[in-house]
Amino acid sequence: MDSIDTKDPMDSMNFARRMLSLDRRLIFLLIAVVTLLPLLYPLGLPIRVSPEVRKIYDYMESLPEGSVFLLSLDFDPSSKPELYPMSVALLHHAFRKNLKVLGMTLWITGTSMAEAVVAQVAQENGKERGKDYVFLGYAPGGANVIISMGQDLYAAFPTDYYGTKTADLPMLKDVRTLRDVQYAISLSAGSPGVETWYVYGKEKYGFELGGGCTAVSAPGLYPLIDTGQINGLLGGLRGAAEYETLVGAAGKATAGMDAQSATHFLIIILIVVCNLFYFFTGQEGRLRG
Amino acid sequence: MSTEVLIGAWIATGLSLFMYSFLYKDNPFFKFGEHIYVGVSVGYGLVITYYEVMVKKLYVPMLQQGNWWLLIPTLLGLLVLARFIPAVAWLSRISFAFIVGIGSGIAIPRVISSLILQQVQGTLKPVVVASAGGVSWFTFAGLNTLLVLVGVVSVLFYFFFSIEHTGVVHRVARVGIYFLMVSFGAAFGYTVMARMSLLIGRFDELIQYASPQYGYATLVLLAAVVVGLVWWERGRNPEASDVE
Amino acid sequence: MLFWKRSLPVLITFVLGVTFALQYYVPHPASEALLSEVSVWNQIIAGFAAILGVASLLQVHYTKMRRKEAGWGYSVVLYLSMLMTLVIGLWSGGESEGSAFGWLYSYVLVALQSTMFSILGFFVASAAYRAFRARSLEATVLLVAAVFVMFGRVPLGEYLVYGVGQVSDWIMSVPNTAARRGIIIGISLGGIATSIKIIFGLERAYLGGGRD
Repeated sequence: MDSIDTKDPMDSMNFARRMLSLDRRLIFLLIAVVTLLPLLYPLGLPIRVSPEVRKIYDYMESLPEGSVFLLSLDFDPSSKPELYPMSVALLHHAFRKNLKVLGMTLWITGTSMAEAVVAQVAQENGKERGKDYVFLGYAPGGANVIISMGQDLYAAFPTDYYGTKTADLPMLKDVRTLRDVQYAISLSAGSPGVETWYVYGKEKYGFELGGGCTAVSAPGLYPLIDTGQINGLLGGLRGAAEYETLVGAAGKATAGMDAQSATHFLIIILIVVCNLFYFFTGQEGRLRG
Repeated sequence: MSTEVLIGAWIATGLSLFMYSFLYKDNPFFKFGEHIYVGVSVGYGLVITYYEVMVKKLYVPMLQQGNWWLLIPTLLGLLVLARFIPAVAWLSRISFAFIVGIGSGIAIPRVISSLILQQVQGTLKPVVVASAGGVSWFTFAGLNTLLVLVGVVSVLFYFFFSIEHTGVVHRVARVGIYFLMVSFGAAFGYTVMARMSLLIGRFDELIQYASPQYGYATLVLLAAVVVGLVWWERGRNPEASDVE
Repeated sequence: MLFWKRSLPVLITFVLGVTFALQYYVPHPASEALLSEVSVWNQIIAGFAAILGVASLLQVHYTKMRRKEAGWGYSVVLYLSMLMTLVIGLWSGGESEGSAFGWLYSYVLVALQSTMFSILGFFVASAAYRAFRARSLEATVLLVAAVFVMFGRVPLGEYLVYGVGQVSDWIMSVPNTAARRGIIIGISLGGIATSIKIIFGLERAYLGGGRD
């Protein structure tokens, strides 16, 4: 006699097993579509500002006009989508506050990108090179550069990126060492980066330090926020978007947050689905046993 | 739009799509793009090193400002390159001893102060807060402080492998493992965020280059790469092994 | 000869290591001047050391071309692109603004490097689907924390579920901070132990180079 229900539970498990070995190129295609659609049709959801980003904004707001602000763009093109929007937002804020901006980089392949962003944002804000901002360029050695700047900035960078003697630049007339810097932010994609600036810079030379980093590095820097070793952190594209919101200059980071939402949801769904299929194949073992 | 920007957009799009072709499988387009990337980044690094180090930190200070003692680091730098001559490769040890000796010496007190003492100090905060208004026994901040203390101590117990993890030590280490799992989960979440951000940034630019003012570069080149991959697949030797 | 090849480098490491460890505690102007000078020297030496890595890479590809090994054509591409970049860079005087060197940087290097790393986005999704399974209680804790953080760090998640952003912030500020602090302290202690071993000559792997 045939049973009323002929559905074999093993069919579901075979399906689960097949789904677990799905060709990864299908997942790639799914990711591509889910990333593309929100970029073409954005939702424009509001962005909540987290406390660690707010701290950096508030500190920048508290700086008096003419304060020296050092921005070290310690990243290369591989981290551009996350850190470039941060640098744009911070520079706009600094120039709006009429701070004296000192730009530099510790990463060799980021040199031209760092120069371009500082020069472009300065031009947009009508700032003059040498008087309102200086771009020092790149120097090798990471920690040694920071120590060297802490001891004697003119020896660390005898000329700026454009070949002008640093001792002759009007903006650097009263800036001889890192002790003359009021606030420094390192936007870093790894090492040398925020931690290097703290250990070899702030710890001895006493300037206030903030950080910006890729989302990969962010979890490791929370202990430094907790102790006040850095006074705030912009973490990843979300941190950049939050800062853009605070500064009132929505840019690439804000535009990317809807796609970020969509991709995160897709990953969560993939994880849940994979675990469901895994659970079913586990059931198969139990049925067979 | 200037010609160099238009040509640049087409080249950037083409090279990007060559790299993305790896998602199908390893292929000549990807290998071509990969080797160009290494070549250009090496060349770029050499040019920047030449101008930012050799010219600005050696030539200008020595020849124009008379800082002749910079001959010492120049000599040490040249000794590093002695590694390529087997007969005198041992000379490079002097330079490495210089760099490593100074680096180690500089690091020790700074790391102790910044990453050990200050981190320990940050862990030892008051759990119970006494003020003019009275004593606050149970606050959310106090609970968090206690959790951080428990977490730090238990994680340090977990990583201390010089004693056997049995009894009380084992139980404390197990607590540490759960703190580590939460941290790794958070790290995974942030890693996903980071990787997706890179993808979003790249796609944003490719969308821009798909517009009419760039001559629909992305769409045209995407079609060309797909046709190229199909042609390559059909012409391949079936016995050739492929890395998937 | 053994003194010059083996003992001298170890002696240099010891003297300089002890000197600069103590320098931190000596605020005398002479001590500060020594630190200032040596940090500039290290930058110059680091510039030469960068050439070392490049030369090794070029040597590998040169060997490949000379022996006509599989894929040697790509090594030719590598050499040609490196030479082209060098020529353009030197011709532009190392300047990026409005130059051919800047153009090469923006439309070749930036495009290639950012695309190469963006591919990781696809692989992390594939890895999450294939490997991220709650096989044990620990893995489940990891998974739950990851989901909360991924959900709470995007606007859509915060819009759909009230408070998930604050939960995500708490996960980062408390359990994550605790674990990471333990890791930082552990790694720092290990690093200091290694530095002391290097200074006292117990660890010599950094010397390399030469037969002795």
